[in-house]
Amino acid sequence: MSEIDEGPRATGNQAPDVFKVGAWVPMRQFREDEAVDFVIVGTGAGGGTLACRLAEKGFSVVAMDAGAYYRPLEDFASDEEEQSKLYWTDQRLVDGDNPLKMGANNSGKAVGGSTVHYAMVSLRFRPEWFKARSTLGYGVDWPLDWREMWGYYAQAERALTISGPVTYPWGPKRPRYPYRPHELNAVGKVLARGCEAMGYKWSPTPLATVSAPHGESPPCVYRGFCRIGCSTNAKQSALTVWLPRALKAGAEIRDLAMVGRIETDARGLATGVHYHRNGQWRFQRAKNVVVAGYAIETPRLLLASANERFPDGLANSSGAVGRYLMTQSNQGVWGQMDDEVRWNKGPPSLAMTEHWNYEDRKDFFGGYCWMSQGPLPQEWASVQTGSRGLWGEELRREMELYNHQVGVKMVGEMLPVETNRVTLADEVDQYGLRVARVTYSWTDNDKALIAHALDQMEQNLLAGGARKTFRQEDDTNHLNGTARMGDDPRTSVVNADCRSWDIPNLWVCDGSVFPTVGGVNPSLTIQAIALRTADRIETLAKRGEL
Amino acid sequence: MFGLKRRPPPPTLSSFAVDMAHAMLQARATKALAKAPAAAVETATHVRRTGSNRQDAWLLHGAAALLGGSVFADSGVEHYRGDFQNRAMFLPLIVSACSIAASLHGATTRKHGSHRMRDAAYAAAGLTGIVGTGFHLYNVTKEPGGLSWLNLFYSAPIGAPAALSLSGMMGFMAERVREAPAGTEPQLLGLRTSRVLAALTGLGLFGTVGEAGLLHFRGAFHNPAMLLPVTMPPVAAALMLEAAVSPPRKRHRWSRIWLAVTAILGVGGVGFHAYGVSRAMGGWKNWRQNVVDGPPLPAPPSFAGLALGGLAALRLIERHRR
Repeated sequence: MSEIDEGPRATGNQAPDVFKVGAWVPMRQFREDEAVDFVIVGTGAGGGTLACRLAEKGFSVVAMDAGAYYRPLEDFASDEEEQSKLYWTDQRLVDGDNPLKMGANNSGKAVGGSTVHYAMVSLRFRPEWFKARSTLGYGVDWPLDWREMWGYYAQAERALTISGPVTYPWGPKRPRYPYRPHELNAVGKVLARGCEAMGYKWSPTPLATVSAPHGESPPCVYRGFCRIGCSTNAKQSALTVWLPRALKAGAEIRDLAMVGRIETDARGLATGVHYHRNGQWRFQRAKNVVVAGYAIETPRLLLASANERFPDGLANSSGAVGRYLMTQSNQGVWGQMDDEVRWNKGPPSLAMTEHWNYEDRKDFFGGYCWMSQGPLPQEWASVQTGSRGLWGEELRREMELYNHQVGVKMVGEMLPVETNRVTLADEVDQYGLRVARVTYSWTDNDKALIAHALDQMEQNLLAGGARKTFRQEDDTNHLNGTARMGDDPRTSVVNADCRSWDIPNLWVCDGSVFPTVGGVNPSLTIQAIALRTADRIETLAKRGEL
Repeated sequence: MFGLKRRPPPPTLSSFAVDMAHAMLQARATKALAKAPAAAVETATHVRRTGSNRQDAWLLHGAAALLGGSVFADSGVEHYRGDFQNRAMFLPLIVSACSIAASLHGATTRKHGSHRMRDAAYAAAGLTGIVGTGFHLYNVTKEPGGLSWLNLFYSAPIGAPAALSLSGMMGFMAERVREAPAGTEPQLLGLRTSRVLAALTGLGLFGTVGEAGLLHFRGAFHNPAMLLPVTMPPVAAALMLEAAVSPPRKRHRWSRIWLAVTAILGVGGVGFHAYGVSRAMGGWKNWRQNVVDGPPLPAPPSFAGLALGGLAALRLIERHRR
């Protein structure tokens, strides 16, 4: 589907049925001049989850997304180029010592957000990370308690029907994953063998793709196209889990609706959002506004909504909006096997080790995990040309070995630094909105962690039987921070409930609220926080404190 | 006022199945009596009441054939899925086919007594099952993680080859029963065949329950019907173990009913698995992939095979009360 040709799909009191070709489900719609309880900007891990839970609790909800409303069965091709439609590739400026590469790894532009093309890795934080400063001596403490979060993690895991190991080898006890783990592919076994040789524990990765039928999702058939959009709906994402529930509970979802500005009134409260849809700017009134646009678009919107009363942007009295941006290091080590491996088969990260997340005998702060990999050919070619600098005949020869290739990549913790940040550039995008400038530089601690991880991963591959290894030293992925939560209005943007300190009816609910980023993929934590936020909003509403 | 006369229990699906099996056997018995010389069979009245060795052998051949058929189809599909990477993977197909052929021959021939070729086929099945279990265990333990849930789920199924052994053992029992002089119970290593058979059925059922339990756990019991094979057959299995050591005069009506339930479950399981195939991506339209990767269609009937063996055991026990 070309979003430009067809226009918005969620109109006329119906939204696409993501489980059937050409089908629709009924959708409640709200008038723009009717102040809905919540307008939510973004429908990914944070916004999608929150929209569902708030609607289920009886609030009126309109959730907007700048991206298109796809039906995976008919709209997703087994083609990397075509599927880049799922990434946020609008113009952004990047700078700093280590400019971030924006796109596939760290953004999404579709209803469902980046969960539509995420790798489904669903890990919990190490409990100590919620008090990183007090217990481990770096970063800052979260205003959340891990024991409370453990309950929300379990709730998210149940909703997403996570397929995970029968017992998870790290961290405190957790309930059994709803579904059993997936079978390892050959590259997963290389990681596992390597870990056993190194004396490290390993585990089948807890994944948000089902290993047995669930509802309208068939079990995963191991095509391996997860990261360009699952076309079978085995993947459990905001698109297939939270939003269908949200619609059933009476939420409205507006696709292809780009929010450009949050309006505030004389009292300093948010009154609604200006959004661009069907070629014109419109206004939706709301009693509460939730920003869930992820770590670039969230601060961009808050900053772009600056007005006379809030000249530095909304919710920014601390000056922390846009600051403390944290990506995660995503370096990898690659190698070859004599046997055919076909690493692209199955979800890309079937086996993993969290050894260095739970082992503190190291000379840097933070932790990291690493996972087996199975990049599709184009992505693999870009590693060979980009990180390794191969071209021509040499590149062709390497690409012929695609089916013998193995590799592991890390998800590493980077420290929050004030100067790693999102600001507004003077250039404007297709909507006439100022584009985000993303400034990023690695700290010495980040570099030490990466160097350590590269050594460990290389050892792992060699011990697993690979040869001809090489290191990819330049990649990063998930983005967090930029609207961090905390206990102190002077240093944080929102409180533990994701409610902004400055504007009580303005909320932020996505990865932006992370004060530290941890060494695991953030999607499950974002969803757990959204679940908690929904419960808190319900409690506050009952008390009349909204 | 109405007295305390015992009324017959209301007919149920399971008791209906038991009665059907009985009726079929009685019909065969009457036919056989009409043709066979009087000396070769038990007295007509006795046979009518509790059946004959020959009928029990027929049941056991049926059990061997069902188990063999289950193994033939299941190992065929699963080893095809494994690309027959090891030539030994053809073995269960050949051996189970022999077991099926021996059983069909045994069930249809009029000749009294055992047969060397059938015995050989059954012995081969028994042995191949044991060797297969070794192979499967090796396949599980060679993977990283060794004897772990993951490998038990996805490597060669540890319990599957035992079904081939059970097929062989059922057939072996059939041969012993049919070679015994009319009206006598054969002995196995000094033990009464009926009791050994009851114990074997009980253990076999428990093993099959274990296998179904493991694989249904792998499927996270996502459909409540997946609980049936781990909750109902264990009752039959326990009753069979009890029958193996029960006092001679005891009647085994409940055991028969539970065996019938188990048999029905074994046949009905194919339907449930067919539904499971339909829930995979593409459903039955994509049968080439989903029959191979979905729930195994031929697996559940092994419950029915074991139930037939158990029925033969109970008949032997009840006929040879001492």
